[in-house]
Amino acid sequence: MAGPRILIVDDEPVVIKSAERVLRSEGYDVEGAAGGREAILKLEKGGYDLVFTDLKMPEVDGLTLIKWIRKSSQVIGIVIITGYPSQDTIKDALELGIIDYVPKPFTPSVLLDVTARAVEWTEGRKSKEESAGEEFPPAMAAELDRVIQQYKNRPGSLIPVLQRAQEIVGYLPPVVQRRISRGLNIPVAEVHGVVSFYSFFTMKPRGDHNIRVCLGTACYVKGIEAVTSKIKDVLKIDIGETTEDRKFSLEGVRCLGACGLAPVMVIDQETFGAMSAKKALEIIGRYDQSAVGAAVTEEAEADLTGKEN
Amino acid sequence: MEKFRANLMLCAGTGCVASGSAKVHAALRDEIKKRGLEDELKIVLTGCNGYCAEGPVMAVYPDEIFYQKLTVEDVPTLVEEHFLKGRPYQKLMFKEPEKKTAIPLMKDIPFFKHQVLRVLRNKGLIDPEKIEEYIARDGYLAAAKALTEMTSEDIIKVIKDSGVRGRGGAGFPTGMKWEFASKVKSDIKFMLCNGDEGDPGAFMDRSVMEADPHSVIEGMIIGAKAIGAHHGFIYVRAEYPLAVQRLQLAIDQATEAGLLGKNILDTGFDFVLEIYLGAGAFVCGEETALMRSIEGKRGMPRPRPPFPAVKGLWDKPSVLNNVETLAQISPIILNGAGWYRSLGTEKSAGTKVFALTGAISNVGLVEVPMGIPLRTIIYDIGGGPKKGRTFKAVQLGGPSGGCIPESLLDIPVTYEDIQATGAIVGSGGMVVMDDNTCMVGTAKFFLEFTADESCGKCVPCRVGTKILLDILTDITEGKGKESDIETLEDLARDILASSLCGLGQTAPNPILTTIKYFRDEYESHIVHKWCKAGVCRDLTTFWIDEKMCKACGACLRACPSKAIVGEKKVPHKIIQELCVNCRTCYDTCKFNSIRILPAGFEGDPYEFLGIGAAAATTGEKKGDA
Repeated sequence: MAGPRILIVDDEPVVIKSAERVLRSEGYDVEGAAGGREAILKLEKGGYDLVFTDLKMPEVDGLTLIKWIRKSSQVIGIVIITGYPSQDTIKDALELGIIDYVPKPFTPSVLLDVTARAVEWTEGRKSKEESAGEEFPPAMAAELDRVIQQYKNRPGSLIPVLQRAQEIVGYLPPVVQRRISRGLNIPVAEVHGVVSFYSFFTMKPRGDHNIRVCLGTACYVKGIEAVTSKIKDVLKIDIGETTEDRKFSLEGVRCLGACGLAPVMVIDQETFGAMSAKKALEIIGRYDQSAVGAAVTEEAEADLTGKEN
Repeated sequence: MEKFRANLMLCAGTGCVASGSAKVHAALRDEIKKRGLEDELKIVLTGCNGYCAEGPVMAVYPDEIFYQKLTVEDVPTLVEEHFLKGRPYQKLMFKEPEKKTAIPLMKDIPFFKHQVLRVLRNKGLIDPEKIEEYIARDGYLAAAKALTEMTSEDIIKVIKDSGVRGRGGAGFPTGMKWEFASKVKSDIKFMLCNGDEGDPGAFMDRSVMEADPHSVIEGMIIGAKAIGAHHGFIYVRAEYPLAVQRLQLAIDQATEAGLLGKNILDTGFDFVLEIYLGAGAFVCGEETALMRSIEGKRGMPRPRPPFPAVKGLWDKPSVLNNVETLAQISPIILNGAGWYRSLGTEKSAGTKVFALTGAISNVGLVEVPMGIPLRTIIYDIGGGPKKGRTFKAVQLGGPSGGCIPESLLDIPVTYEDIQATGAIVGSGGMVVMDDNTCMVGTAKFFLEFTADESCGKCVPCRVGTKILLDILTDITEGKGKESDIETLEDLARDILASSLCGLGQTAPNPILTTIKYFRDEYESHIVHKWCKAGVCRDLTTFWIDEKMCKACGACLRACPSKAIVGEKKVPHKIIQELCVNCRTCYDTCKFNSIRILPAGFEGDPYEFLGIGAAAATTGEKKGDA
């Protein structure tokens, strides 16, 4: 894979020159642009991963450039270089999603440090964008914002909002948590603290069908463990995981309160009682035969050969 | 009002829905229509009847004839026989296991016969989605009495005199709790209901919320009046969608009827009630943690005092009562403290609902007077362990409780007597275990639960439960040391003494009670590498007793690793090298011919087990670990 392509935007040629020298010595692919206008023209052609830009520039300034970039791409990483790091401008820029900033004048080690971090972040962002893009379409975001607005300024609203968000998106990835944090004006750390505390919340996407096995005492006494291990073997996932094709996910759930039917398995909203490993596979097969096909046939064959004996 | 010849009370609780009561409902409706009986028969979908294991169940009133295990295929014959020909349909009735005679009436069935319904007074009799049906059974009469005729002191006095204690587990006197909160001066107070039923193996509260949601709401209105609260929350687990739906409907109907909201019944008293969905954390059953959770934070307990009655939700005086506690408030107000005390014992008055489950013939929800012996519940109501199995222990109180052995089954069910055994009454989960249950494995099961659910605030609980779990895991995997039992006991006592909340203070109970009553199983695991129940895979060798084997081929067909050889009329044999100890053969064999030996057993099994011709002293252990 080719290294990231970096564009340095500054109205002082000496800054571009020194940055180019430092970064090229480390093997980065670097180009310069003498101002906002030139940068936009270059970026139009595409192919850049990271932009370092000054804020104060004649004609098209840094913030305008950042806004323009964000309109067309969420993937390009942006770092600002500024000699006047006032809290306000940095805050504005942060809201537009910059990664970091480099104060001017900078030493080579500071620049390299920031660059390395920015590159890492951009790459992470890209792979997430590719996989998460389809799952978090703008419609969902709008719905999520509506829920946030509805609960905003109500005390104790974080948990209900997270529950609704999980209903809407299916799970609670960092991007959703950040959005809720901003919307409710609660620190991201606190949001994440709540998400990780309660077992109802999940940060991993679930499959089309969510299989839940009851971990209650009655189910334990009646042998849910054998059922669970068979499901794990056949679907090749552990509790808390999702199959590669995203068809099924498997969860262990604290007592479902249907102990009279132990051992109990729930798929999506439907409850199945008095499970055995074999019955569980048959039921999962109704949702997707190919997932359990081989295993069920094997059992059937074993039954047949047995009868022949 | 329309009159019907018969009411068909079909259970639509979670258990019966899972067994297919929705399909039976549709089939019944169609069949009744087909036969032109719509004007004579009325189907009512009720909340949980309690007899979940036999679901879907239906009671036909006014005759009170009880049908169980209904299927869509049976519906046409049932309607024809019972409602056209007037012959109740025997095939679907309860039958005594031995005699095979059908018992038509619900009140004669052993499972129901010994029960006294107070909390569950409306179960199976009303449609939980209709407030009119609740009101028709004296619903909201107690709330009206409390709001119009009684002062806060009057209410508290009746509740205190009745001796009703919190049914959530700890058994704190409800009247005292209300009195504390009523005496604190504050502009805002909260009345809260704990529906975060977290004990695995317990479903009393779910059933009450599903079958009779108004009884909980009415109890809260009375409590709110007693303490002077105008705002309330019902905290319910998100895992109970049906309960949430019915409670919300009940709140809406009660608000519409002027029983909730502003100026209730023109008395000038306001009470607004909301549902708050829990997000799955066992520790949120603890009152301070639950209040934190409603505040939208991590549900972690805090030290008391200050008690919630002084500083609770949002630092305002708050009372938190369990669902079952609240459901008994209105009959106490209507009938008086003396009526309540007519059942139970001096210190444990009234009735208690238990969720009877596990390795027992009749599974379901039972309500019994406190003070009756455990044995009555397990044998007379529950029908004892399944045929061919022997009773080993009954687990009370979930992860905070303990296992009670056969020898103690005659103790009365009261808070004090149960506590003396090392278990607790708890919220009412009662899980029966038979000889197929490994007690070390059971302790491990509960520790997995508490280690996972520990909120992490107190080190002894967070780290201690993990270490206990590691030791138990080692023992079940054959890596146990002789000193392990002592270490477990020492550490358990330390955790008990140094944890902040009920979770840590009770988490070691499952270990302590199993060591107390089943020490031999621990020793057998550690010393002889032998799990006699055949549950711990690494500590078992399955072996076929050739003298008992009928050579039926059942185990041979069932074995997933094809480790069993044999032919017709030739006793089967397990090839140990191929066996993965999955236990399938053991569960399949109908002749009890498969025996469990220690891991890596060598020698003469007959001699070792003391069976057959070569019986010798069982003391000699030939187990080669």
